[in-house]
Amino acid sequence: MNVTAATATTRRWAMKDLVLMVVLGVVFGFVYWALVQAWNGLSILMGPAGDLAQHVLLGGWLLVAPIAIAIIRRPGAGIAAEILASVVEVVFLGSPVGPMLVVAAAIQGIGSELPFALTRYKRYTWGVFALSGLLGAGLVFFFSAFRSGWYGQDIFALRLVVQCLSGIVLGGLLAKVVVDALARTGVVDNFAIDRETVRA
Amino acid sequence: MSAFSAAPPVDSALARRNPTVKLALLTIVSLVVMFVLDPVTPAVLYVLALGGVVASARLTPRSLALAHVPFVLFAVGVLTVNALTRPGEVLWQAGALRVTVEGLSVGGALAGRTLLIGVLAIGFLASTDGVALMTSLHHNARLGARVTYAVLAGYRMLQEMPREWATIRHAHAVRATFDGGRPPRGPRHLAGVAFALLVVSVRKGERMAQALESRGLGLEPRTTWRPVVVTRADRWFAAGVLAVVAAVIALSGALGYLEGPGALNG
Repeated sequence: MNVTAATATTRRWAMKDLVLMVVLGVVFGFVYWALVQAWNGLSILMGPAGDLAQHVLLGGWLLVAPIAIAIIRRPGAGIAAEILASVVEVVFLGSPVGPMLVVAAAIQGIGSELPFALTRYKRYTWGVFALSGLLGAGLVFFFSAFRSGWYGQDIFALRLVVQCLSGIVLGGLLAKVVVDALARTGVVDNFAIDRETVRA
Repeated sequence: MSAFSAAPPVDSALARRNPTVKLALLTIVSLVVMFVLDPVTPAVLYVLALGGVVASARLTPRSLALAHVPFVLFAVGVLTVNALTRPGEVLWQAGALRVTVEGLSVGGALAGRTLLIGVLAIGFLASTDGVALMTSLHHNARLGARVTYAVLAGYRMLQEMPREWATIRHAHAVRATFDGGRPPRGPRHLAGVAFALLVVSVRKGERMAQALESRGLGLEPRTTWRPVVVTRADRWFAAGVLAVVAAVIALSGALGYLEGPGALNG
């Protein structure tokens, strides 16, 4: 690789990173689509409390952002991955939520990415992942609450608490588990995650 | 209907419209109805949208009805929860359960909105080919070539994914003949399959990136086979849809039905 190509890749995204983001978007778009089926099942099982099922599972929809950040370690990776996954859901798989899902995904991505940005994409501890899940779930809650008309309902606070807990567990800690497992398989050896680990 | 039916959409009036224009209209309508919170306006828009999709997308009644199932289930859930959990004028009460007028009204608005966006999404998906959409976004919405080709490659992967999923499941099931003979089931097994799918896909993505780069895809400027254009018919289509939405909302406002987000807090 010559010098101009090297500087170009540091400024621009490498094709490899870009495709990885798309791959993550597609796989998680597909998994999210499966999650929607689980959500339908769970909401029927939960009977009258079925509408709360979405909060129980919400963290699952946050997964892709911290995973993308931990592997690619570039600013914006989490937001972009989350948006791509939602676009796959809306445009290719068909989501009952419609295009507003993409807006929700962008807000989730911002929330999930914030803790990593604050550590300048240098710390990948359990705590940072948990905070990522908490902020991802917490930030999007207020948008969803407006979109779905939760303001003024009796169960507003219950919704918020369940959603934040789900964010921490499914959208934060589980992401760390997946990232560590991926790193162990060796499949991400050629990405930033491995370069950082070697250097550290 | 979705990526899982790889067949291209049948030719119809809606299928001939520009994909970017359709996507933009779907987004605008979804955004506008987010601020409408009375039951009448979304219901009227839904009936009009249903008529429009039936007239222009050439769907069979059966596929249209089947595609409605998830939206209808969701709409019923939203209506029920709002009717039961929103304080206001009590309409019906039995023990701890009570249904309020305000709850029914807001719930009806949200249910109508779900159906409206649902039927528009059905029309969009049934009439739009994924490749045509990405090409159109590249041409008409100035989406960068690198992103366009990366997403197109991902779209192919998505189409293969159900098969990949089945292959991995079968591979896992092989072991079942040795221990107990029952095919694996349950969340643990599914999580294992999902993780294997992720690993295989990451590996595949890396090879794909190399292939894309070695072919120079993503370099600019470039020429395009079968360019997608915005025609006069597309402009009339967009103007027509926006005019109908504006007319319905204006009429609803004039007749006193229209309500905004203020309805949420009684």
